Amino acid sequence: MSASHHLLRLQCVRCLSHFLGTPVRQVILPGRAHLQTPGSQHIYVQLLRPFHRSAVCSTDRQNRTDIEKLVEDETHHKDKTLVTHDDIFDRAAGDSKTKVEFNRVVDVFKSKDIRRRGHVEFIYAALKKMPEFGVECDVTVYNKLLDVFPKEVFVPQNFIQRMFNHYPRQQECGVQVLEQMENYGVMPNIETKVLLVQIFGEKSHPIRKFQRIMYWFPKFKHTNPYPVPHVLPSDPVDLAQFCLTRIAADLDAKITIYQYPSTDITETGEEITRPHIVGIQSPDQRSLLAKHNPCKPVFVEGPYPLWLRQKCVHYYLLRADPIPPEEKVEEEIDPEMICPEQSLFFPQRVELDLNVDMGDDHSFNVDEVEEGAVYAMCMAGQGDQATLSQWISGLQETCPILGQIPTVFRLESGPRELQTSTDDHQRPEQESETDQIIEDDEEPRHSQGVKQ
Amino acid sequence: MSLNKFIVLSRSVRRGRNLFAARVAQTGEYLYQFQSQRFIRSSSRSLAYAKDLFLGKVNKKEVFPYPEISNEELEELNQFVQPVEKFFNESVDSAKIDREANIPPETLDGLKELGLFGIQIPEEYGGLGLSNTMYARLGEITSLDGSIAVTLAAHQAIGLKGILIAGTDAQKAKYLPKLATGEHIAAFCLTEPGSGSDAASIQLRATLTEDGKHYLLNGTKFWISNGGWADIMTVFARTEVVDKDGQKKDKITAFIVERAFGGVTSGKPEDKLGIRGSNTTEITFEDTKVPIENVIGEVGDGFKVAMNILNNGRFSMGGAGAGVVKKLIELSAEYAGTRKQFNRRLSEFGMIQDKFATMALNVYVMESMAYLTAGMMDRPGLPDCSLEAAMVKVFSSEGTWICVSEALQVLGGLGFTKNYPYERYLRDCRILQIFEGTNEILRMYVALTGMQHAGKILTGKIKEMKKGNLGVVFEILGKKIKDTVQTADFGLTGKDGVVHPSLTESAKMFEQNAACFGSTVEGLLYRYGKTIVDEQLLLKKVADVLINLYAMTAVLSRSSRSISIGLRNHDHEVLLTNTFCKDAHFKNNYMLSQLQRYSPENDDANIKKIAQDVLAKRAYICSHPLERTF
Repeated sequence: MSASHHLLRLQCVRCLSHFLGTPVRQVILPGRAHLQTPGSQHIYVQLLRPFHRSAVCSTDRQNRTDIEKLVEDETHHKDKTLVTHDDIFDRAAGDSKTKVEFNRVVDVFKSKDIRRRGHVEFIYAALKKMPEFGVECDVTVYNKLLDVFPKEVFVPQNFIQRMFNHYPRQQECGVQVLEQMENYGVMPNIETKVLLVQIFGEKSHPIRKFQRIMYWFPKFKHTNPYPVPHVLPSDPVDLAQFCLTRIAADLDAKITIYQYPSTDITETGEEITRPHIVGIQSPDQRSLLAKHNPCKPVFVEGPYPLWLRQKCVHYYLLRADPIPPEEKVEEEIDPEMICPEQSLFFPQRVELDLNVDMGDDHSFNVDEVEEGAVYAMCMAGQGDQATLSQWISGLQETCPILGQIPTVFRLESGPRELQTSTDDHQRPEQESETDQIIEDDEEPRHSQGVKQ
Repeated sequence: MSLNKFIVLSRSVRRGRNLFAARVAQTGEYLYQFQSQRFIRSSSRSLAYAKDLFLGKVNKKEVFPYPEISNEELEELNQFVQPVEKFFNESVDSAKIDREANIPPETLDGLKELGLFGIQIPEEYGGLGLSNTMYARLGEITSLDGSIAVTLAAHQAIGLKGILIAGTDAQKAKYLPKLATGEHIAAFCLTEPGSGSDAASIQLRATLTEDGKHYLLNGTKFWISNGGWADIMTVFARTEVVDKDGQKKDKITAFIVERAFGGVTSGKPEDKLGIRGSNTTEITFEDTKVPIENVIGEVGDGFKVAMNILNNGRFSMGGAGAGVVKKLIELSAEYAGTRKQFNRRLSEFGMIQDKFATMALNVYVMESMAYLTAGMMDRPGLPDCSLEAAMVKVFSSEGTWICVSEALQVLGGLGFTKNYPYERYLRDCRILQIFEGTNEILRMYVALTGMQHAGKILTGKIKEMKKGNLGVVFEILGKKIKDTVQTADFGLTGKDGVVHPSLTESAKMFEQNAACFGSTVEGLLYRYGKTIVDEQLLLKKVADVLINLYAMTAVLSRSSRSISIGLRNHDHEVLLTNTFCKDAHFKNNYMLSQLQRYSPENDDANIKKIAQDVLAKRAYICSHPLERTF
């Protein structure tokens, strides 16, 4: 009883000193040394994991030694100052910032020093650099980073260690790795878990974090009913098809490719590029267009932006002004056909002077704002009037009435242009969203024209 | 008088020439009597049994006692039945008809000789001139071959019915004789590619020629039974009609079109699941010239004509279904009685017995409903039995499907093979739920027509109640309290009761359901008013309760009569009646409670949501059970 009491107090003292920032190395060291020095255990762990080393890494001796030197410099430096490992990545990678380079730096750091001195700083630096190397969404890279932690050193050995924050700096760093994974939506895998258990033990803060991520991530994985794939189609026609079906949200809507992109070289040596024109129209839209009053114009409007993850594309609408209420034509159905007392087609109404009772009226009061009908949509390689009139003439094949309707083009500046002076009321968001400034203004900002 | 007698005599001689030479000897006196009796029509009576159930009223006079036919009629009928039965048992090879998807000409000739192409055509036009009841009886036999039954039904139940009920004397004289003998075959052309459930979209157009003596028909009709054979067609087309206000409107008009008019082409016969021997094609009319005398009824009245034809033709499906199931009970019972498993006959197993009980119950109810309705239609007066006929159709088409499936199940794997007729019957009877108005449409029709009827009478009362008229509220409260204290009594049982005392319990159950149904309908009207049309799931339940009520009425009425006059095996009928009524009673109770406000049994909201989710994606949207997220 008293012995255990004594032990507890001793542990407390050790922890206290730990907190104060003066590690009581004499006490801890034996245990640590024991854990780290017999390599057998370490190797066993290594064998367990599928460990991928890049081929470049092993062959490129010369380069490697360079990095080794760098790392050495860093650590050497660090003894004197508080410089982080940021530079090592920049200097090691040079111009090509790729996954291979990143992995190599990590490998070199790992192989350099068996004690992995300064690994926490190294990991923080690596985390910061990940987006630069484009590996921020790669779970294997995160696992590799975690692998930098020495194994089993930070695993609490007794309940007192477990009770208090054992190696807080390291645990915090581990949490930070997971935090970054979370922020980039990277789902940890089983390897991550094995590593974390080896490094921090079963009930550590990083494992808790891991468990929380594993609780929520799967739940949120499919919450978006309209998922955007991580890799978008690279072909502009395919991309346009994907975008248009996404906007249309109508399973009946049919895609028509009016023109494939092509480049011709004329006899004079001029290059003519034909932009792609991809349109979508549903049967409902077609019948609405067929009923359009030919005296009223229809408008080709755009470009409107559509964001797909990092990518912004633009689309155009063919639409009309809302029909004023006095011009609306109610379609009359022969009352005989829909009246009660007929069994041919079931009765569509009963003639009663009673309405739904208040208690059973579950409808909401929705204030509906009438808008003009949208008759069709398209995406094109170029947003000029010539291209879009090609679309309209393509539409005429299925909707001959378009030939009689005046078509007005109300086009904003093209997607890659930005007017330096914001002169009028029209669509401020259009301007803010484009980021390049082209000096020579080939197209007028509003190209308006009437096509008959 | 003697002149009349002579006419009748000569008529029966003509008919008798075909087959019933023996009948001629018996002749005229009674025949005349029942013939004239059959065709007396007085317009004072309006039938409203099913409609009045919506008001919580039971018009027992309409359905009790069970209608019967006179001895003479019965004798006459039996003389028809025997040769027809013989013909179907010996000369019709249903398997071959099904296999080759064609009815051989000699079989058709045999049917024509039996006069089966003119069962309901009056004798003066060369038909058999049978009543609806007798037609239903013959339908039981003709239904033994689905293809033949449909061919005959398309010919006379719908194809020529238009001429029969709305045609002029000249039209009748011109067309009916040849149709009655089967020299000409008729077809009914209503459905179009674009108009399955929406008549407004009938596109076939009839335009008046310049001389005003002909109509030119242009358009296409779909799924026309007998389309490839028909010589005479009842065609529904759009015509331009000038209405009272002088405005031009499109109205539907019915025409008699002969193939000989030209411009009529039939497509390839459809390859169907069942009733493969019947001929279903597309018909295209191209500038078919139809004289204006061939308009049925008035120009623009086509819709009414179509409805009358369909409304009154449906009841016969009850008889047809019963005919099939009775035959299958015999076949499968023989198998169950001989086949041994585990040293016991199949017939000793409870689960097999259950199937036979189900079949017997269903046949009994189908028969009862069909002949009750047929009897109502044969009564003098203006028969408006469309609601009842629709209910018979719905109940019997579904009952037949279940029974045929159960009969097949008794045979197990054997029933699934083509060596036995079960699979053919199963395929054939599937169409019953689809044609002549799908069961869904008929349920809507039944429920909404009743709702409309009840609404007309109850609107005033409900409005007063909503306004908070204390008098009305108290009156209704008082009635409710009275209802809860004493059980509903419509006078079916007890002193002056119309139901036999041994069925008292069943009758009470019926009365209780009927009363509850009335108040539920009132509640629904109170809650939904005219928006009830959009509550299809509720209306389906309303229709199902009503069908059950009508079925209960039919079996109660029929078995009461059977007991009273001592028909053979009437104790079995009592058993069937009590069993069915009990079952239907509890089903009704469940459905009626679903129809109450805030009912926990009612899952309609969920059902709608499920369907909407699925239909929005047009697919089953759950992830596969083997899917993983990490």
